[in-house]
Amino acid sequence: MLWLTFILAGLATTLPRASFIVLGGRVRLPPTLQRALRYAPAAALAAIVVPDVLVVAGDFAPLNPNLAGVSAAVAAALLSRNPWLPFIAGMVALHALRWLPGG
Amino acid sequence: MPSASFRAGAREGFLAFLPLSVGLVPWAMVTGMAMVGAGFTPVQAMGMNFIVFAGTAQLGTLPLIVAGVPLWLIVVTALALNLRFVIFSAAIAPGFRGAALPMRWFAGHLLTDGVFACCLEKMLAVDDSRWRLGYYLAPSIWSWALWQVFTLIGVFAAGVIPKHWSLEFMATIALLMLLVPLARQRPMLVAAAAAGATAVVLRGMPLRLGLIVAIAVGIGAGFAAEHWQDKEEAP
Repeated sequence: MLWLTFILAGLATTLPRASFIVLGGRVRLPPTLQRALRYAPAAALAAIVVPDVLVVAGDFAPLNPNLAGVSAAVAAALLSRNPWLPFIAGMVALHALRWLPGG
Repeated sequence: MPSASFRAGAREGFLAFLPLSVGLVPWAMVTGMAMVGAGFTPVQAMGMNFIVFAGTAQLGTLPLIVAGVPLWLIVVTALALNLRFVIFSAAIAPGFRGAALPMRWFAGHLLTDGVFACCLEKMLAVDDSRWRLGYYLAPSIWSWALWQVFTLIGVFAAGVIPKHWSLEFMATIALLMLLVPLARQRPMLVAAAAAGATAVVLRGMPLRLGLIVAIAVGIGAGFAAEHWQDKEEAP
């Protein structure tokens, strides 16, 4: 049963991914739509990540340790080219705020 | 032996993606730990990792598998989480003109958010189909291998690292690190802000369908911002 779940979830992943790549020239999207689709990755990443940061247990609560962690990570990414630094800065900020008295 | 232009493309694609691919490491480890946390044996965890190969879909379906919900609901949830790939697939598809059908299935199976974000621009701009294939496959296969190896490490590390370290937060940071370079362009930033805000507002929608609506809203907002910016810059 578990393996059937994996196989069906795998199909539900590979089919959307392969869809237009496999259909290729037979199905074309209009150029305007293609230009619009350039925004898909930024939109999808933000749609996944923003609720993770601003929502705590189903409630909109922007002032939480996650926001501090994310802010530190983004600042590190903008100021440095070191790929590990955002992860270190983010985790340190997250835990610093959690362990602060009253935090 | 692959052609010289395939190898040149592969080298360039690999080097373009290499710094970004670091972000996969914590995400893969987090996914490995989460699967063990859901009660999978290492064989089951790696089986899911090979068959599904999608962090968001794996992490998203785990709570449903644990809760024992009907199979169809798990599949529909996985589909909803993966619908963005239809958009990505359509956007990058012109880059595979000249490729054979089995290669297209292989390339499609390997499509990920990171590779898409990194490769799209050149996949549409470069004329040489062999160069494009190399440029796409090198980072794709690299991230597949990284994903398998570090998920396995996560599976075995799960018992060692204390839960209160909140390693899952590293997944959030990894996603953000993909977003930051994109958001340097104004319309992209508008798209991200609109999608993020919509996702927060619609977080209560069933099956995480709010995610799909948010992506659509973000694309619309980005496109509108681009249109508006073009108009402003025109003489």
